[in-house]
Amino acid sequence: MQTPIKTITILAWRNLWRNYRRTFIMLAAITVGAWAMIFMTALMRGMVDEMIKDGIRSLPGHVQIHHPLYRDDPSITNSLSAPSKQLLTALKQDDVIAWSTRVRVPAVISSERDSRGIILVGIDPVAERSITNTADNISEGRFLTDKLDNGLVIGAALAKRLDTQPGKRVVVMSQDPDNEIADRGFRIVGLYQATIEAMEENTIYAARDTVQKLLKMGDQISEVVILGKDYRDVSTLTENIKSAAANDTEVLPWQELDTYLGTMLKVMDGFVFVWIVVIFLALSFGLANTLIMAVFERVREIGLMQALGMRPSGILYQFMLEAFFLLTIGLGIGNIAAVASIKPLESGIDLSVVAEGMAMMGAGSTLYPALYISDIILANIIVIILGLLTSLVPAWRASRYDPVEAITKT
Amino acid sequence: MFTNIFMFIIAAPYIARVTNQLGINMRALALVALLITNVVSAQQLDASVLIQSAMDHWRGTTSYSEMTMTIHRTGWERTMSMRAWTAGDKQSLVRVTAPKKDAGNATLLDNKSMWTFSPKVNRIIKIPSSMMAQSWMGSDFSNKDISRSTEIIDDYTHTLTETIEQDGHNVYVITSVPHEDAAVVWGKEIWTIRDDFVVLEEQFWDQDGVLVKVMKTTAIETMGGRTVAKTMRMGEVESPQEWTEMIVDTIEFNIDLPANIFTQSNLRNPRQ
Repeated sequence: MQTPIKTITILAWRNLWRNYRRTFIMLAAITVGAWAMIFMTALMRGMVDEMIKDGIRSLPGHVQIHHPLYRDDPSITNSLSAPSKQLLTALKQDDVIAWSTRVRVPAVISSERDSRGIILVGIDPVAERSITNTADNISEGRFLTDKLDNGLVIGAALAKRLDTQPGKRVVVMSQDPDNEIADRGFRIVGLYQATIEAMEENTIYAARDTVQKLLKMGDQISEVVILGKDYRDVSTLTENIKSAAANDTEVLPWQELDTYLGTMLKVMDGFVFVWIVVIFLALSFGLANTLIMAVFERVREIGLMQALGMRPSGILYQFMLEAFFLLTIGLGIGNIAAVASIKPLESGIDLSVVAEGMAMMGAGSTLYPALYISDIILANIIVIILGLLTSLVPAWRASRYDPVEAITKT
Repeated sequence: MFTNIFMFIIAAPYIARVTNQLGINMRALALVALLITNVVSAQQLDASVLIQSAMDHWRGTTSYSEMTMTIHRTGWERTMSMRAWTAGDKQSLVRVTAPKKDAGNATLLDNKSMWTFSPKVNRIIKIPSSMMAQSWMGSDFSNKDISRSTEIIDDYTHTLTETIEQDGHNVYVITSVPHEDAAVVWGKEIWTIRDDFVVLEEQFWDQDGVLVKVMKTTAIETMGGRTVAKTMRMGEVESPQEWTEMIVDTIEFNIDLPANIFTQSNLRNPRQ
């Protein structure tokens, strides 16, 4: 005999509402669980996304070309020659949004009061504008205007440490390729602000040609930075650049340039899964308990149904369906609640109260929740599959009753 | 800028040689020229000639000296004795002789490059640019202060601002403003130089016109046939309790130095 799906469905649905109080409590639990899974995931995603975007911005770019030894020893001796014709063609392709060359060496900056070790970055201000947003975050004075600019742009926090300000002169000291000291005075023309104070304190910008002249390095550069279309998928771009770049160079995507950031993204994907499973575990006890209670309440009924000819599988299906309805309704409400609570927050949550702590993690003081469809689907699938597995135990028990024993149970 | 103290460390620029060859006449000539052509256009040149002459007076073509450096801080003070050799304007060697703990530490300066040797680790270390701003042997002088030489003349615009009479000497006050791209953090420096080329005072002003550091000569004596500053004290204006004092115990000028003295091998294994 075919299992009468329709009858069983109706039975399951009605059974659900026989003890509506219990059903509502269980629904509330599932709803809150689903909401927490999605909402918290969105917050974590938002935080990590910001960290990664910030990280890429300060790297900057999605792909970089270096001297093979530069990353181990970022000194002036490990520099590259200016981009070749072949590379320039590759950089003109559609998958490159922007690119720029930089000189990036460790240096020391001193004012009358103090001196600090910093990274001196010689940039092409025009090309740089489309890669980093430092030019938009000038808090005082101006940004560099062209490659020959004689000014210096430093972080607001660094200016405070050095007790200096725009309009004043500071001395920048580094080494030329012969290991001789190269130093000169620079007038500070602007201060920039960064989301992370540490960045403000350790990076200063000068025009590329001025730095090349100071360091006596001709038209050598430290790195080529390339911005692609999507930071999550840079493998094709990396390949294209790699085939065009000179052989003795190192072309790397951001995941490998900053393994911390790259790992972070991977860890986050794993973390979302673990998070959902953990919440579900808490939820599953409630679910199993509810269903076991339902089974106990209906022992005689189950016996009667079996006596009337319903197969054990029918009873199994009936309880499974009951759990399925419970889960679907709960998830539905939970999803709606989560989306409804995240949408108004997408413009950002102000966390300036704990900004210092966030900065230590490399995140800014505003949190932008990021709702990923894939995360929602993952949460729903996990809950339904694991939920049905959990309900399998009470349902199995119900279907294994001996009709005679069950029907006479008091 | 610290050349007067570090006459031992920093040696004479080319004019020093000229001066030494022609003797006192050259200096007298310069002064006469200064006094006669006391017009604005000539002031700049004259002021730099004055500073140059002061440097040369302190250095000679070669020199050997013994000196004592006292570093004073609130709560503690330490004194080091050292010996120093200089030749030309690019070469110098300083070796600490006492206290025992520091004895043997040495600094070699050759053509703007600086090396230190510490017998405890038995290593020569080339001072990288990142360490140039750090203190030299814990004193109020930075490595950079020590290694500067001809920049003192070339990096600034020197102007004679005042001439005053003091103890029967003419005393010149010179204001030196660094060039725009010079590797100098100061807004200006003010030198006070006596007419016998003894630097009485050097002041360091920040870019807001606030006096930050002063190096003052507190004792003048005739040593090695020249009138030189015997005691000099360097300190920040804001913290009067912290200073470094240099006392020249003996000094000899224009002596013969072995050719190998300013080498890394000699830095490691002293031969004198």
